[in-house]
Order: sequence, then C-alpha cells, then structure tokens
Amino acid sequence: MIEATNLTKRYGDKTAVDSISFTIRPGTVTGFLGPNGAGKSTTMRMILGLDQPTSGTVTVNGKPYAEHATPLREVGALLEAKAVHPGRSAKAHLGTMAATHHIRAKRVDEVIELTGLAAVANKRVGGFSLGMGQRLGIASALLADPDTLILDEPVNGLDPDGVQWVRTLVRDLAAEGRTVFLSSHLMSEMAQTADQLLVIGKGRIITTGPVQEVIDSVLASTVRVRSPHATDLASLLEAAGATVTSPEPGTLDVRGLTGETIGDTAYTHHLALHELATQQASLEAAYMALTQDAVEYRSETTTPEPIPAGAPR
Amino acid sequence: MTTTAPQPVSPTTSPTAAGSRIRPVIPAKLDFAGVLGAEWRKLFSLRSTWWTLGLTVVLMTLMALGQAAGVTDSLDTPEGAATFVGLHGAELVTGGYQFGMLTIAVLGALLITGEYSTGMIRSTFAAVPTRLPVLAAKGIVLAAVTVVITAIAFVTSYAATAPILTDHDLVPSLTDPTTWQIAGGVTAFLVAAAMFALGIGTLLRSTAGSVTVVITTLLLLPGILQFITVDWVQDAMEYLPLPAATAFVTVSDAFGGAGDLTAWQGAAIVAAWAIVPIIAAAIMLGRRDA
Repeated sequence: MIEATNLTKRYGDKTAVDSISFTIRPGTVTGFLGPNGAGKSTTMRMILGLDQPTSGTVTVNGKPYAEHATPLREVGALLEAKAVHPGRSAKAHLGTMAATHHIRAKRVDEVIELTGLAAVANKRVGGFSLGMGQRLGIASALLADPDTLILDEPVNGLDPDGVQWVRTLVRDLAAEGRTVFLSSHLMSEMAQTADQLLVIGKGRIITTGPVQEVIDSVLASTVRVRSPHATDLASLLEAAGATVTSPEPGTLDVRGLTGETIGDTAYTHHLALHELATQQASLEAAYMALTQDAVEYRSETTTPEPIPAGAPR
Repeated sequence: MTTTAPQPVSPTTSPTAAGSRIRPVIPAKLDFAGVLGAEWRKLFSLRSTWWTLGLTVVLMTLMALGQAAGVTDSLDTPEGAATFVGLHGAELVTGGYQFGMLTIAVLGALLITGEYSTGMIRSTFAAVPTRLPVLAAKGIVLAAVTVVITAIAFVTSYAATAPILTDHDLVPSLTDPTTWQIAGGVTAFLVAAAMFALGIGTLLRSTAGSVTVVITTLLLLPGILQFITVDWVQDAMEYLPLPAATAFVTVSDAFGGAGDLTAWQGAAIVAAWAIVPIIAAAIMLGRRDA
C-alpha cells in the first residue's frame, strides 16, 4: 500500500510533481504512465525517501519509508538500471545489499537464479548489457522478498523473452497479495500487465482507474460494420446520434452506438449485415489522447494535423 | 484514487495483512552491524581498493628507504650531522607518510564519491534510508583499514631501512616511547586525512572535485605557501593539516618538529580538519536529495 497526499516536489522554480494524491493498493499491478519529464521517477524516488518532498507526504504501509525497521522487506525497488558500482560483480553487489539486512547468502543465490543471472554472477557489472543490468536491478528489488515493488521501466532493454518473464513475474507477485507499482513506455505491455493505471503529465494526475475504464473514458470504442446497404445504414445510424465514417465503400466505422443497437437498427430496417465487430481502442491511442497537452518534449512530425482522438487505427 | 474494481486480493489498510500470505519468510533485519558489514564488503569487493592499499605500502616503504639512504649519507659530513641533530630513527622509518596521506585520502574520497558517480548511492540509501549509519560505517571501516595498512607499511619500512640505519645506530628501539609517539602520531594523522577526505567527498559528491580539494589542502597549499614569506601567510600555514601534523609526527628540527605549535596543539588542529568536514557531511547527508 502506497499512499501519497498532496505530494509536491519543486526544483527551483520548476515544479516536477504538483500536489498529487493517490493510493496504490495491494494485490494489484498499478501502471504508472506519463511522458518523459512528467514526474514519474521523481515520485518514485520520493516514495523511497531518496528525494525529500517540498510539501505533502508519501507513506508505504502506513509509514514513511525511512521509518521502517526493515526497509528492504517493505519495498523492493528498481530505479533506473545500474544503480550499481560497475567495478563490482553482480553477486558482490547483491551481497553488499544483503549484508545490511543480514540476509543469507543462500537468498542471494536464489535471486540470481530467479533472474537468470547465474552465468554472469561473478562478472563485473560494468560489462553488463542494459538487459542484464535490468535483471540485476530486479534481483536486488526481490532480495528481501518485499511486500511492495516499485519498478521504473523494468522491461527497458529486455529481449522478448525477458519482457514476458517480467510480465509473468509481476502478475505472480501481485497475485501473492503484494503491491506492484511499475512504469513503462510500452503501452501494449502495460495493457497486458497492469490492473490499474495512474497517468500523470507535467507533475499532475491526468487520470486514474482500472485500465479498461481509463481507455473507455478517453476513447469510445468503434464498431466496424460492413453492409451492402452501407449508405442507407449510415444515415439511419447518424440519425440515431452516431458518428459514422466510411474508410471504403460498403464499410462503416461507427462511434457512439453499441454493436447491439446497430444490429437491431439494421434488423428493423431489413438491411443485411456482413460484418459487425466492436473494436476496443488501444491503451496506446488512449494514452496519446490523454497526454497530448502534457508532453514536455514533443518531436515535430511531418504530419500537419495531429491524429484526432479516436481516429480509426 | 483508484476506483472500485474486482481485486485478486481484498484490499485492506492494515500493513500486516500481507504478512498472512503463505510464503516462506526470508530472514532480514537491518542494524548497524549489518551496515558495517556491508561497507566492509563494498570496500574490498572493488579492485581499486586493493590497488590503492598495495600502492600505499609500496610508496611508503620506498620513500622511507630513499630518505633513510639520503639522510644517513649526509650524516657522514659535518654539515649533515649538524642539520640532522636530534634525529630519531622512527622519523626515517615513517618517512613515507606523505605518500600514504595522499593515497589514503584518495581512497577516503572515492569511498563515497564512487557511489554518487555510479548511482550506487541510491541502492545504498534504499537499503539504509536513515543514511547516517552509512557515513558512520564508512568512517569506521576507513579508519580501521588506514590503521592496519599504516602498520603494515611501518613493518615493511622498518625491515627495508634497518640495514642502512644499523650502521648509524638509528634503528628505532621498540622500547623507546618516542618511537611509539611518532608511529602513533603518523597513524592518527593518516586516519585524520582519510576522515577529512571522506567528509569532503560526501559534501562535494564529485570525484574530481573532491580529490582536487583534498590534495590541494593536504599537499599543494603547504608546498606553495612556504615560498610566500609574508608573516601572516606563514602563520596561517601552520594551521594547515600537514604543517600542524609535523608538531606531533616529528621530533627533530630538520623534519619540522620545532615549529611554534606544541604536539597537543598540532593534534587539536589536525583533529579539527577531520571532524569539521565529517560533521558538516553528516548534517548535509540527511537533507539533500540522493
């Protein structure tokens, strides 16, 4: 359980995190989304007491992180890969972390095995690839078997096998009743992994809630309709309040009506349907729409118009 | 706030709720002994530590040997004998301490700046969020290593210089209190130099900046300022760590033992150079973002 109340962080006159309040519950995977510079890493650092909030509070299981008697048991964190001295081996690094909490060497070997680092455990971290660095970060996060996991971009640099492994691991950890709070820029991955979302931009919360609710709140689903009477059907549906576009003759994309209503309308007017398919908006499209105004560093595209929210994919 | 949704495990505000889950408990307990052990492992799991410590012993021994050879040579001339009147053999055995001061100080600075420059500090403070025990443990480990490595360097220096010193009856007697005063004084001074460097490193965080400040203060300033023969500069210079240390690590005029400061005044000044940066570091450590 992570609870933030009016959490604020200012660097000089720049506000990185602007009075945000949220609760991350046990037993769920909560995805933390936001453009670069939105304040995600700063928020995560404040949870761990690495950065002091300018104002507001954040607690882990009811207490500020630093006040826990066994901090590594409360929270395991992966904050940007390679918070590690490159001159030390993976095993030595985990050994120093374990030593602070008198964690046995056997447990160090266990997390090395679990994260697939056995072959490189005695190699110096300086020579690690990004993916191996991530695995080491996850290993140190899991070291004391914490109740809460905070993972900043855990799949960054991992190969597809690694991405799938992290997804399964994170789901399993939440299923065991732990609190999992992770950030990622991979929306398809987040859609598969997270139960809840916390979306921030420019230091403020844009939206929060279960993944599907967040998507639905931003982008209505589209119903793809194919019919030999597409033109007639289109005017009927528009009369019923739908927005209809036609990507090609005989095909309609309908927003604002459910598949049931469209099917019933066609039936009532004896119009044949060849296809009726509801298409969920993707998290990626929803995210883009949500954060459009909050992107700090936007690259100019050659497309003159931004893709309208809910445009057909 | 998250809205209501089906949850795999019913959420609860009780922090102990997760403790009821069925999985083996990994024994874990954070205490100062653990932090001390972690800092010990950190220090000796880096190759650079072994290099620096090895270099300290080698340089201190070679310097003592060279100085002993040079001084005993000049003792054969009347002028030389006059210059080195009151010379104590232990001054020659410990003659390499300025090299030790440099390598130990660099080690002390790197002990903390190495963590800031690599990001390791975030792992360290995540494990020990109260932070202060980390600085205390680093200080204790560094002091212990400095004492041991200085002792080793004295033994090797003693062995290396003994053949030369025997001819002039200068081999320091182990029953002579002055021998122990000099050896103990040098050891204490090196510990102080290490603490000074650790404090500066914690305050500045950058390796390059810290090493520059430390070497300038310990070595370069006394070297440069001695050529500025203005009275107040010379007076002020005595309060720098190395000149102040000569009040208690030397006894003869030739090695600077006859300065204006008494041994205890010198010790107090050197202690201040060690303690003030460490206290400032301890205060700032908890206040700044990692």
